[in-house]
Amino acid sequence: MRNFLILIRRFWNLILFLILEVVSLALISKNRNMQGVDIVSSSNSVVGYMYKKQNDVVYYFQLKQMNDSLLTENARLRNAIAQVSNIDQFRDSTVRIPITVRDTSKKDSINTQGVLKTIRYAQYNYIPARVINNSISNDKINFITINRGASDGVQKDMAVVSGNGVVGRVANVSAHYARVVSVLSDRKISSKLPDGTSNLITIWNPGSPEYVVTEKVPVYIKVKKGDSVYTTGYSFFPENVLIGTVAKVDTMKASSAKNLKVRLSTNFRSLQYVYVVDDKMGAEKKQVEAETAKPAH
Amino acid sequence: MSIYLRNIFRFVLLVLIQVLLLNKIPLRWWANPSGFPPYTPFIYPLFILVLPLSTPVWFLLISSFTMGVTIDAFMDTGGIHAAACVLMAFFRTNVLVALLPKRLSEYPNTSPNIKSMGWTPFLTYSAVLLLLHHLVFYIIEIWSFSSMGYLLIKVLATLVTSMAFVVLYSLLFSTSLNATYYDNK
Repeated sequence: MRNFLILIRRFWNLILFLILEVVSLALISKNRNMQGVDIVSSSNSVVGYMYKKQNDVVYYFQLKQMNDSLLTENARLRNAIAQVSNIDQFRDSTVRIPITVRDTSKKDSINTQGVLKTIRYAQYNYIPARVINNSISNDKINFITINRGASDGVQKDMAVVSGNGVVGRVANVSAHYARVVSVLSDRKISSKLPDGTSNLITIWNPGSPEYVVTEKVPVYIKVKKGDSVYTTGYSFFPENVLIGTVAKVDTMKASSAKNLKVRLSTNFRSLQYVYVVDDKMGAEKKQVEAETAKPAH
Repeated sequence: MSIYLRNIFRFVLLVLIQVLLLNKIPLRWWANPSGFPPYTPFIYPLFILVLPLSTPVWFLLISSFTMGVTIDAFMDTGGIHAAACVLMAFFRTNVLVALLPKRLSEYPNTSPNIKSMGWTPFLTYSAVLLLLHHLVFYIIEIWSFSSMGYLLIKVLATLVTSMAFVVLYSLLFSTSLNATYYDNK
């Protein structure tokens, strides 16, 4: 026993060093697998508060850029509304008349124009959030911290999009802050091409925050430079969110497949506002999928 | 200012500079010319470099771990900074013993800097430890040796900026005030 104590005292520094290294390695592995709530992360309240204060100051320098991005998004949304509601097409020379359906089965309808029927409820609810911290220089995982948390309805595994395209997926949530794994990470995005080619996989290559790679597109599919790449509804992202446009097509001779270098439509260097997508059907979808995944007895 | 206050103050200041200024640099750096990867310059290892010479090893290890974990929380890197910092602190004594003529206990209340060590030994000491720190940091972060060139580019680029910070610090704070802590005499 005495010898043991002497041994510990002699190698005390080495033992302390090893203990601390093991603790840090445990923290690293915990951070990498995206599960569980981390104390050592930017979604904890102290760090989130600091970043929010910093962002409040820097915010004013970026107002011009932010105005531009909001204006373009407004324009895009106006177009989308116009397409859905078939009104508000003043800019076009053709005048469109709202489509109303006469529903004769409803006895109590006084309105001779017919009763407006809701065909489908909105599946997605968008929670706007401000980016208070953002990283692009890490090589495996890049995180974004946003100023909305559990008290605003943000939950783990929700998709995050910007006005221009995909951003990422919520990893940790505290009361007022959430940490998002951005698409600049080694996480695959299920994606498709505008001609309907689905089941493609898009992944980020470290080194550049501007490009991702859509892998293993069969050679018989015609892809031109400038084509868009969208998300599918298979994973956590909503369907038809823009990932980016094809910047370069690399044909690989060996495997008869093409790799598409895709320029991200979201500019991660100047990300200001994002939307957390609350999928109302998400839980149901997950439950059904989990049930079918179980072995049948 | 006492030696403790001075180091606590330095800790807070370096964390703030690292987190609020330097972490934002790759975002504003608009293009990456010829595929040069964006990277974050590091200034916070300076805290471990300039802790007093007579600091016991266990305190070095604990304070470096605290520093690393603080930076990790802000940069969302899990424990990579902590691991690199602890390793750097562990080898600090060995590098100092190799470079200094006298035993470390014979330098009471003195920090390693250009005043106490001279330019060449101090820069060698900083370069060796910073190289160790950056190498470990990027090896754990990238976690593959398939692209050695990429790893080396990142390590060297970060080392150049870190050394620039060390030189800048030496030039700015090389007054006699910083070399010895008078109130402890």
